[in-house]
Formats: sequence, structure tokens, C-alpha cells
Amino acid sequence: MHLTIISGAARPQSRSNTARIIEAFSEGIHAGGHTTEVWYLSDRRQWGQARSAFEKNENILFALPLYVENIPGLMLEFLEGLSPKEKPGTKMAFLIQGGFPEASQSRCCERFLKTLPQQLNCAHAGTLIRGNMFGVRLLGKKLGGRLVQPFTDMGRLFAEYGEFRPEIVSGFAGPEYLPEKQLRQMGGMGNYIQRWSMRIVARRLGCREKLDAKPYHEVSPVQRKQ
Amino acid sequence: MNLMIVSTLPANDPQAQKAVRFLTSKVDCSRVFYTEEMKISPCLGCNACWLKTPGKCALHDDYEQILKGCLQYDAVVLLSGTSFGFIHSAMKNVIDRLLPLATMYICVQDGQIRHVPRYQKDYRFILLYSGKGDEEYLKYWMERFTLNFYGKSLGVFPLEKCEETLQCI
Repeated sequence: MHLTIISGAARPQSRSNTARIIEAFSEGIHAGGHTTEVWYLSDRRQWGQARSAFEKNENILFALPLYVENIPGLMLEFLEGLSPKEKPGTKMAFLIQGGFPEASQSRCCERFLKTLPQQLNCAHAGTLIRGNMFGVRLLGKKLGGRLVQPFTDMGRLFAEYGEFRPEIVSGFAGPEYLPEKQLRQMGGMGNYIQRWSMRIVARRLGCREKLDAKPYHEVSPVQRKQ
Repeated sequence: MNLMIVSTLPANDPQAQKAVRFLTSKVDCSRVFYTEEMKISPCLGCNACWLKTPGKCALHDDYEQILKGCLQYDAVVLLSGTSFGFIHSAMKNVIDRLLPLATMYICVQDGQIRHVPRYQKDYRFILLYSGKGDEEYLKYWMERFTLNFYGKSLGVFPLEKCEETLQCI
């Protein structure tokens, strides 16, 4: 199999969580003697080659971060420039990564992606979902590497079956919703810890303001006419 | 009632013109943005609006006027074209750039994790679409999108039925 991977992430490749995931996933593909090519939509100079690769190849994977319940606007813009394939036979698969841990957060996007291949005269080859990916870059190479490592296995299985099998996808996605107990733990002390750790991350990035600052609080509501 | 209308359709689109005329004539106060005449880049997902300059986007383009408008007006009407049954990328870029309305902090809302809102505001959004939209999906997506900002979707309508929005606002 030769797989064309198109990253729908808007963040530059060097700082992209999706890019790290693609690297790990590709390792799995390559392990079986298969090949990949990767195009990054964050670099508009690659759009022409990404479009040609989509037209030419029969195995396409779009990898993307979840953006407000769907694909990033940038990726949608790229898709708008594609023409439906003249001949059937192309398979389109998707990989959604999100920051929140629950699989349910990605279902709205998944539903859209299910309808997409048909509109481009392609077949749907499944959607892989994984949450808890916010820290991939922030946690550094070692810890972040641990987060993306499971994608290598997914790459191997994808190459073997030529698609994301539903039974594999559902196990990989993690919990649909977090258990009640875990949600309760997020209040009280858990809430304090998450706020404290985010402030540390922000400070490291040079932020000296409160993370819940309201820069536009002075904007007053528009008055109705009398 | 006052309204902010954000249109990603061309200002000279006859259907959009008709909808804008109708809506602005029915409310006390309104403001219309045509994004075609503005520069609104896609969200980079850099998280600067959460972790570096909280509440402010790192991209200094015309997004700020729309963000402020969300805080100022009672309701926001989105006029969008469609792609693959969904909203057009120009409108998705506008929505993606609303991220500074949320904070990095998280909380639990109705059994799911959400970002804590940055401002105390009951955001209300309506979507009017032109072209072949998957109305059922658009309704579902609007419910989900507004949930992220602790807002409410007031409905989704084809542009030619813009009169129906009056029942909601």
C-alpha cells in the first residue's frame, strides 16, 4: 500500500501535535513494508502537491485536530478546492485528535467526515479518534512520545486491513464519557491542580497575565433605541 | 433586540441582501459585517489566546471586531454558504477564531468536559445558509458549537426562509 497522508492542522509542522501523531502512525505503516507521503496544509505552498496526490492516489488519510466540533476551517478550504474523483475506488480515512479525553467530543466531526468521501466519489475507510492529545508538544519529547506511541500500532493495523476497522477504532477511542467518579475528582482539589499546572505552563511560555483575563470586559452592550 | 449579522456571502448576493434588509428592519439596532471585505485568517491553533495573551488572538486581523460584537449584541446571525452540506470554510474560519471567548481552564458541564467561559454572556446564534446544506447536521453542529461557549443555538434556516428567524429572536 502507498498511503497519502494530508495533515489538516493549521499549526506549523514543527509545533504540530498532529504532525507528531502522523510520524508515529507512519512508523507503523512502514513496519509492514508499505510507503507513505505526507503533505501539510499549514504550508500553503504544499497545497498543489497535496491536491495532485489526492487525485493520483487511491489510499488517502486526512489527519486533523478537532476545531469547534468539526474540521479546521483551513482544511475545509482545501477540500473545497478538490474535484470528485472521476473513477471510484479511492478510499478516504480520517484521524481526529482532540484535547479533551472523551471520545464523545469528536462524534459531531466524525458524523460529518462519514458523509465526505461519497461527495468526492470516494469510499469511507473509517475514522480513528483519540482524545487527551493536548500535551503532545507541551510535555516534551519523552512524555509526549508516550502519548503518540499507540498510533504506531494503529498504523500497522491500518496497513494490514486497508482501513480503520470499527472494532479497533472503538477500543482505541477511549471512554465515550468519563466515569462519574473521575468527573467528581475534577472539582475541588482536582480543579485547583489543573489551574495551577496550566498557570505554570503559561508562565513558561512567557505569560504574565491571569489565564481568565477579560481584555474586552470594557466593551459595553449595544443600547437599544428609545 | 439588537443583532450582529456576520455574512461570509458576497455583499451583492441578492438573497443575502434581502435577508439583511429584512432582519435589520425588524430590530432596534444592528450591525452587519461582510467578511469578504475583511481579513480573517484561519485559526492557527497556537493556543496563544489561552496561554500567552489570554483572551486575545495572536493574529492581529479583523477578527477582533466580530469577537467584540459577540459580547455587545443580543444575538448573532451567521449568513453562510455551504460546502459538503456543512458551512463554508470562510464561516468556519470565523467560528474557529471565537476561541478567545473561552479560557484554558476546564470544568464539567452536563457530564462532559468544557472550557470555562471567559465572559458572563448568554451568546445566542442563528445560522442562515445558502446552497445545499444538510439542515439536520447543521442543527446538530450548531447545538454543539454553541455549547462550547455556553451559548444557545436559536436555529438553522435556509436563507430564503429568513422570515422564520423572527420566531426565534
